[in-house]
Amino acid sequence: MKKNLQKVMSLLCVSALTMSMIAGCGGSTSDTTTTEAPAATEEASTEAPAEETAEETTEEATEEAAEETTEEATEEEATEDTASSDADATPRNETLYEAGQQWGTINDWNPMSANSNNGLALSANEQARELVYETLFMFNSLDGKLYPLLGSEYSWNDDQTELTVTLNPDAKWSDGTQFTAEDVAYTFDTHVKYQSSTGADFSTYIDSIEAVDDTTVVIKAKTDDNFNPLKVSSFLNSVYMMQKAYLQTVEERNGEDADAVKQDTMEDLVHTGPYGPYLSNDQKAVIIRDDNYWGQADSMWGKLPVPKYIAHTIYKDNAAGQVALSQGEVDVCQQFITDVQNLWLEDGLPISTWLDDAPYGACEAIPSMFFNTERPGLDKKEVRRAIAMAVDYEQIIASAMSGQSPTFAEYPRSVVGPTDGERKYVDFDAIADLQWDNADVDGANKLLDDAGIVDTDGDGIREVDGTNLSFKAECPTGWSDWNASMEIVAAAGQNIGIDIQTYFPEASSYYDDMTTCNFDICMWSAPGAGMMNPYSKGMFYFSEEYAKLPSNWSGNFGHYMNDDAEKILKAIPTETDEAKLKEYYTELSKILLDECPAVALMYRPSLFYAVNESVWTNYPAADDGRNIPPTDCTDGYGIAALYDLELVE
Amino acid sequence: MKNTLKQVFHSGKFLFGFCIFVVIIATCIIYPIFVTADPLQMIGQGNFFKPGTYVSIEESTLSKSYTLQLPKEFSKLEAVLDIDTRSEIQQFLIKQAGIAESEIDVTDAEALVEQWKANYDPDTKYKGLTTAKRKALKRLNNEINAALKDSGVIIAEKDEEGALAQSKVIKDTDYVNINDVTKKTFILGTDNFGRDVLTELIAATKSSLKIGLLAGTIATAIGLILGLLAGYMGGLADNIIIFITNLFTVIPSFVILILISYSVGDNARGIAMVGIIIGVTSWPWTTRSVRSQVISLRNRDHVNLSKLSGHSMFRIIFTDILPYIASYVVMAFILQISSGILAEAQLSMIGLGPATTKTATLGLMMQWAMTYSAHLNGSWWAYFPVVILIALISFSLNLMNTGLDQVFNPQLRD
Repeated sequence: MKKNLQKVMSLLCVSALTMSMIAGCGGSTSDTTTTEAPAATEEASTEAPAEETAEETTEEATEEAAEETTEEATEEEATEDTASSDADATPRNETLYEAGQQWGTINDWNPMSANSNNGLALSANEQARELVYETLFMFNSLDGKLYPLLGSEYSWNDDQTELTVTLNPDAKWSDGTQFTAEDVAYTFDTHVKYQSSTGADFSTYIDSIEAVDDTTVVIKAKTDDNFNPLKVSSFLNSVYMMQKAYLQTVEERNGEDADAVKQDTMEDLVHTGPYGPYLSNDQKAVIIRDDNYWGQADSMWGKLPVPKYIAHTIYKDNAAGQVALSQGEVDVCQQFITDVQNLWLEDGLPISTWLDDAPYGACEAIPSMFFNTERPGLDKKEVRRAIAMAVDYEQIIASAMSGQSPTFAEYPRSVVGPTDGERKYVDFDAIADLQWDNADVDGANKLLDDAGIVDTDGDGIREVDGTNLSFKAECPTGWSDWNASMEIVAAAGQNIGIDIQTYFPEASSYYDDMTTCNFDICMWSAPGAGMMNPYSKGMFYFSEEYAKLPSNWSGNFGHYMNDDAEKILKAIPTETDEAKLKEYYTELSKILLDECPAVALMYRPSLFYAVNESVWTNYPAADDGRNIPPTDCTDGYGIAALYDLELVE
Repeated sequence: MKNTLKQVFHSGKFLFGFCIFVVIIATCIIYPIFVTADPLQMIGQGNFFKPGTYVSIEESTLSKSYTLQLPKEFSKLEAVLDIDTRSEIQQFLIKQAGIAESEIDVTDAEALVEQWKANYDPDTKYKGLTTAKRKALKRLNNEINAALKDSGVIIAEKDEEGALAQSKVIKDTDYVNINDVTKKTFILGTDNFGRDVLTELIAATKSSLKIGLLAGTIATAIGLILGLLAGYMGGLADNIIIFITNLFTVIPSFVILILISYSVGDNARGIAMVGIIIGVTSWPWTTRSVRSQVISLRNRDHVNLSKLSGHSMFRIIFTDILPYIASYVVMAFILQISSGILAEAQLSMIGLGPATTKTATLGLMMQWAMTYSAHLNGSWWAYFPVVILIALISFSLNLMNTGLDQVFNPQLRD
């Protein structure tokens, strides 16, 4: 009897459970149908839920966002969240969807902010994002030239101490007022006054910026020890212009307090760019075209950019963004995609990349590993070089980077990137002897043996001064290609009797370690194309100035000091003779390869670029002869692509 | 004892679970005898190579070839021109080349190709096509050209001056005997690092089982000792132990697990350390249930008799109480092993497992497969066998547990 009761009870329990599950699922099913109906017409259906990724502000950081959860989980959550976003829907055929640049609700529109996560408006590097704010000139990584934007011409005086810039007289602010030389000068003065990172950086090299008349600005370089025309000229393409009147309002409302000014969200911004803020929440960020944009003047573009809206759905991780790209919900995708060629070769999707074959993108940056030269063991160049020699770079490129990088056999290591424009600065025959074969384990072992660094206590690990060579190779968790690269470096250590452990902390604590030289081996990417390259790459590897910064984000993380290199770095900015420059860069490459303070692991594009042509077409491609770089239609001269987009018939 | 074992093995459920488990263990032991390769060796240069046999192309071209007159099932051209491709060509001819639809006969492959060749120029930038489409057509053109080509591939070698000299022609009737060439079979393909998934899977199962066994042993030992003491001694000792146990029960053990693994750091996290960490966080429920069993036993007559005889506490616990709950403890042990394996998988999935380059574990395999989006690329071999194996291990252990339960629990006995 008792047994029967149990059976009946358990049956009841099970059916109750089942019913509740069905009820639960039923609810969400009806949700799905309501949200997918509009999806079928116009609106992208998969809005990934927002995840605050506050620490990931730069796009270097964001594009590698963690892929921890499965796609199913994302989709489930997505359907729950869609209903509310439908009210904000913009017509699909007027909206260009991006992915991989914005990872949370936009927190400010302030170019002076130190912790902005705004991937739509603020990305002030040498190829600055030109959608909302604009720089004086746009950099084009394809030909290495500056193209006019707010400024129309620039010229140096003979001894390179004064840079005169003529502004475009048609340029106007979004409130209709004229963009003038006063604005340029005030922008610089405000950056300096409140010591924003831009201000701190440029005030070292720029003495003052003066408005000569409404359309002429003179940038005066410092002529003391910090005389650096290269750095001064990068002001043209990497600093966003702000309006004097508006800045004064901001200063006034914040009582000229430096922290308050830098933290002002500037939601009422005045800008020159073609797009302005439209909507931002935890599901998507949208900017809307300013139909009075000054750039439709014949002196600039002569027309408006084609898409009325640029929208960025907030995806939880790379996987969610990739799914959206393959479903045509994302048009331009700035994300690393494993085996990207399968999207068109096997799935037959209308997706393409910059190049049709490996490496698929325009590679110009060099992710490199730094050795901390202050750590015992790593202060010996034999140890550093042995690790560098033993690493299987071809494996890193083929598997960690999924083949999306040229190999070191094609482009031998040096201080310059794999583009022709930079490679002409290095004499590769002169440094051929210093190159090493891929995964040269025997050579590395011999090098260590010859240097007397051997395993004396028989535990399989070599010692220096009686301590085992044991190091931690670190990079932020979730940056999949970097994590895998570090694993391959660790595997190389095992082959040469050096214990290398991988360590993948959260990005924020990794940044702490890297910027304060508190690591054994760490990884960061040498800057991509820019006016200052390859000089900025040289600085990245050797600059003592960077190493002395209390919080160093710029390079030479391992505090490697070399007087010869420092002398060359001082000489390069003022040198104009190309033969001499070639000599300098060749010498730097020699030091880099011989001393191995840092080692290049792969090449990669500064921005990943994959486009889906379901809605829009006529994106830049390598062979189209338009000279528009693949910067996701947003950065530097790449924004020119927005004016040529067409709807698919 | 013999009788009990006999009874146990008469239980169908137990036997089934036991067989699966033995097969898994046996595979873990036998496979490495035959395949001695390092399971973590990165062989394939690239992500997720398909399962199958890979033969050396160089050797295939150089080794002795056999001519086989195999009947061809279809012409190469027919193979290239499937229905979709034909309609694509038709679309192109109508829209871009301006040929009337009536002039196109999609059923006649050769005529279609002729029209295609006449009208398609790979260097022209056709209007009204997306870049992706243009590139697809270019690839199609290459395929058609390859299909039209006469049989035969020329092998040429470079001489000293760098000029090419023809050394061999390979015809479409040429075959090599697969035993003549170097080959490598990946039954389950390769993973994102280019490692052989099958070899890695078996090494991973082995280490996962080790971790599970270690975690299970530790958890059961702690749980058993604390449970026995609390249950038998009662009073203050019971209060203290149950207080601690409650503390551990209310904090989700997985959270403690994450915190401990994180604070231990990567350096120390080997198989043993992960096993120990899982073990010391998963004992509370064993303690609680052992304690309640002991409480119901401690007032039995034979226990009271032992007490009267002046036996020590430990003797009473080990001879008068433990044997009565032994079957229960075995079952708890099995469940602990199973949950230990799952816990390792979860830990590794979030990157807190053992080091990737030193050990293979099931969780790590899952983690890397997900990181390199194997689930989006259709590379099922990188994660599906792992899922199946984790499921099989815990299924077999749970099955054994249910079988034992049926044998030992009089209420469930038929």
